[in-house]
Amino acid sequence: MNAPERTAAFTLDEDNDERKITYLPSPQIPNAGTFTFNKEDHTMGNLIRHQLLRNPNVHFVGYMHPHPLIHRIDMKIQTRDGTTNPGDVLLEAIDDLTTECGQLQEKFDDAMSKFEEEEHGNTGRNM
Amino acid sequence: MPNNRFPKLHILSSSPHTLTFELSETDVSVANTLRRMLIADVPTLAIDLVSVHENTTCLLDEYLSHRLGMIPLRYYDDTANRYGDPSKEFREPRDCTCEDGCPKCWVTFTLGVQFSDKTDNPNTKTVSITSADLKSSNSNVSPASFLSEEEEENAQEEGISLVKLARGQHLYLEARARLGCSKEHAKWCPVAVATYRFIPEVTLNTPALSKLTLKQREELVECCPDQILKIDDVTGQILLAEDYEDKATFTEDLHYLQESMKGSPEDDNFITVKQSESRFVFTVESTGCMHPVEITRSAMRRMEEKLIMLKGECAGINEGV
Repeated sequence: MNAPERTAAFTLDEDNDERKITYLPSPQIPNAGTFTFNKEDHTMGNLIRHQLLRNPNVHFVGYMHPHPLIHRIDMKIQTRDGTTNPGDVLLEAIDDLTTECGQLQEKFDDAMSKFEEEEHGNTGRNM
Repeated sequence: MPNNRFPKLHILSSSPHTLTFELSETDVSVANTLRRMLIADVPTLAIDLVSVHENTTCLLDEYLSHRLGMIPLRYYDDTANRYGDPSKEFREPRDCTCEDGCPKCWVTFTLGVQFSDKTDNPNTKTVSITSADLKSSNSNVSPASFLSEEEEENAQEEGISLVKLARGQHLYLEARARLGCSKEHAKWCPVAVATYRFIPEVTLNTPALSKLTLKQREELVECCPDQILKIDDVTGQILLAEDYEDKATFTEDLHYLQESMKGSPEDDNFITVKQSESRFVFTVESTGCMHPVEITRSAMRRMEEKLIMLKGECAGINEGV
């Protein structure tokens, strides 16, 4: 009766105009802000955070999953100086991850065809 | 500047229900995300709505419906010639253009069995209703009753056992299946096992090892329960065992024994066993609903789709700012 819908954990609440990502610049710290990813969890949070850590322009990045029943990720990003802002480094990180993902799929298909070829080659020789 | 990595993939073994492959030159976060996607985000088919017309069996309607939901459903992909990704043909009902359900978003199953259908023998006390009795409205979708023909031959039932009937009992219901992902309910989970382990990186400190006696070296080799080391017969030196990469489970025994053997606590270790930070061995075991290669492909594809969607949203935010 009081249980929320299971789909509420991963589908955006369109009735309340929920956007996927929202940004709040930090009032005290320069070149820093908090991105809120709605209806996301560690699957994407940890992936993006690790990629951001590889960028030398990033001074600080950390993410938080406030509570298992609250379905959002808060990610704080601070860049080294004013030349790049947090939004740009985030976009770059997600872009790099998308390229890597595409590569993964290609490599997987290549590896599978190579494996199947070797299998057929072996069975041919055994016959 | 782009900081992307160039991952490498090598298939170790592939069978109709298990796939093992090695992913390397990438970060542990990518491996973990892939594992999470394999478990939670791959769309599969499962029964979601059950309309019971007659049920005089010993199980309650909702108990039966739960069991029906947990049956893995297979979709035969004609292009791949094996059981594959149902999202190629089906859509989720909330994304579908139809109003009230159509063959593109729901698959209907009927189950109508009474005791007399199953046996003529007057001495039989109970008969079993199994997943083989489910009749599908779509010829490409069927319940995954067995993992292999061998299992089917050795089985006592004709499929996954649902309920047993006694004389005079009757079950007649209609069930509708839809696409969903494991985040919503575990019945949509395509894998029984989706895990990865780290390849070990072993460094042997040869100068320090050569100062040990043969007995001490044998002690070191014996103390590790995984037996990842061995003594060379000729030279008496410690070497790595042939299949140490598969056997290592990163126990602490070697470390503790070395602490007692060292001259002083600050000395370097003789043997260090570390988890690799960039090489992972994945094992994907399917429940029978899809070929594990198709599951992995689907997970990688969904990962890319999700990242593309996030990229679009992020670009939108940046323009606003």
